[in-house]
Amino acid sequence: MNGAELIETPYWYFGYLVGYENNSLFNINSEIVIHTWIIMILLAIMLACVNFFLQHTVIGRFILLRFVSFFIDLTKQSLGYFDFYHCVFAASLFIFIALCNTASLIPWLDEPTRDLNTTLALGIISFLYVQTMIIKTRGIGSYIKDLFQPFFIMLPLNIIGKLSSIISISFRLFGNIFGGSIITKLYFSAISGSIILELLGLLFGVNFIIIGFFTLFEGLLQAFVFAMLTLTYLAIGTQEGGH
Amino acid sequence: MYYSSEFFHYGAIAASITLSSISVGLGEGLISWSALKSIDRQPAAHEDIMRVAIIGMTLVETVAILGLLISILLLIYTNTNTDYLFPQYAQMGIIAAMGLTGFSIGLASAFPAQAACHAVARQPFFSHRIVTFMLMTQVLIQTPMISAFLVSLFIQGQSSGVTTMSDNLRLIASGLCVGLGSIGPAIGLSTFSKAAITSLGKNSKAYDKLLSFAFISQALIETPIIFCLIIAIMLLFVVPYTNINNYMDEIIFLAAGLCTGLGTLGTGISSGRIAAAAATQIGNNPDSYNILSRTSLLAQTLVETIVLYTVILSLLMILFR
Repeated sequence: MNGAELIETPYWYFGYLVGYENNSLFNINSEIVIHTWIIMILLAIMLACVNFFLQHTVIGRFILLRFVSFFIDLTKQSLGYFDFYHCVFAASLFIFIALCNTASLIPWLDEPTRDLNTTLALGIISFLYVQTMIIKTRGIGSYIKDLFQPFFIMLPLNIIGKLSSIISISFRLFGNIFGGSIITKLYFSAISGSIILELLGLLFGVNFIIIGFFTLFEGLLQAFVFAMLTLTYLAIGTQEGGH
Repeated sequence: MYYSSEFFHYGAIAASITLSSISVGLGEGLISWSALKSIDRQPAAHEDIMRVAIIGMTLVETVAILGLLISILLLIYTNTNTDYLFPQYAQMGIIAAMGLTGFSIGLASAFPAQAACHAVARQPFFSHRIVTFMLMTQVLIQTPMISAFLVSLFIQGQSSGVTTMSDNLRLIASGLCVGLGSIGPAIGLSTFSKAAITSLGKNSKAYDKLLSFAFISQALIETPIIFCLIIAIMLLFVVPYTNINNYMDEIIFLAAGLCTGLGTLGTGISSGRIAAAAATQIGNNPDSYNILSRTSLLAQTLVETIVLYTVILSLLMILFR
């Protein structure tokens, strides 16, 4: 019941290739990498299915229309205007993160977003996209001018404030998914001992409640919050007179 | 030695159930008080109001049930081994985590039910939607309880193998971080959900907009708690067991826990108040939802950078001792 075994992950050790055998910088979390690739393959298969089969049925087209119009509305709501690239970026972030967060529903898969490296990568992607878009719309001159906004001395604080958005957006996703995955693992390891407990969990729907809340609800909500915050940062940056 | 160890163990068992049940009792009293007040105002809707009040009370009681669960688990894992090198000071971490969180969350989750009673009295034909809204907000308010539950389970698991005073204080610090960290966001969540349900009672046409706003805002207000959970888990697992009793380490662990735990206090309250003001305005004027939600999200993310500074400081303290 120490709890450390829930957090242990297997590693690939690449340190000996470079000459630093004990450096943890060169250790790669093998499980997370493999699971991310499996999820990307699943996503490709899903999108192919949508393209070839779902588009040609009435119900499938309805679902697709609802999904696309939801994101168009979301972009309009948070930006104040419609931009195709922003909408596609937010939608693809949402789809990927939602699939990552709910990956533990598929047997033998774990959430890749349980690892801080994945969420940091996602946060850096969203940060770089937002900053490039701000520079594109407002010009490099006014972007640099904004960094010195009230006084010259505020430059480091402004840079820290910009960079802290990466940490806030990625730690939020990581913490939620990590906590949820630990709780579900603890629960299932607690009931896996006896048949009576497993039957009780199935019959009274406790399994369903725990998976439904911590995996489905929390995962989809966090994916939505991630996409929404990216759009909000875009809206703040690209507006005239924004900070 | 053995007696003081027992004192801390049984004290943790008592505190985790007592503090959470005190707050649940207070919360249920508040709910029934406002239910009676709203029945007094709108006697024709007494069935709907009673239903809302009973659903709210059952949800508030989950806090007490979680406290009871951790007490029973602590009782089962009572260690009868008498040769401790140190008394189990580490169990004080469970008092902090479970007691403080249970007290704040139990009171906070009563506020949406209170507001829902008044809202149903104002709009009796809209009670189904109000109940749904209340359930969503209450369930989201109670998620910090689960993180505290998790941390106290880990503290209990590690406390039997602790050999030095710095390890003891490491576990206490992780408990304090979660316990103190949940107070501010709990106050913020209660202010926000109360304002949102009150404005829903005033304007039922704003339901869709208020619901999507409530999801995002509550997820944002709860972020400081997640940061606290990260720091607590760093303290629990990333730091290895220290066999040498280093006095500098004790102080650093306590400082890291207190830094993040106290840093969330103001942020939680102010972030909740920002979202509450926005929810009131959305209720008054649903057409300007876009600009209101955008401004509120911007203000909340700006406020939350302050917690990030404390988190970064705590991480630096833990990792580069």
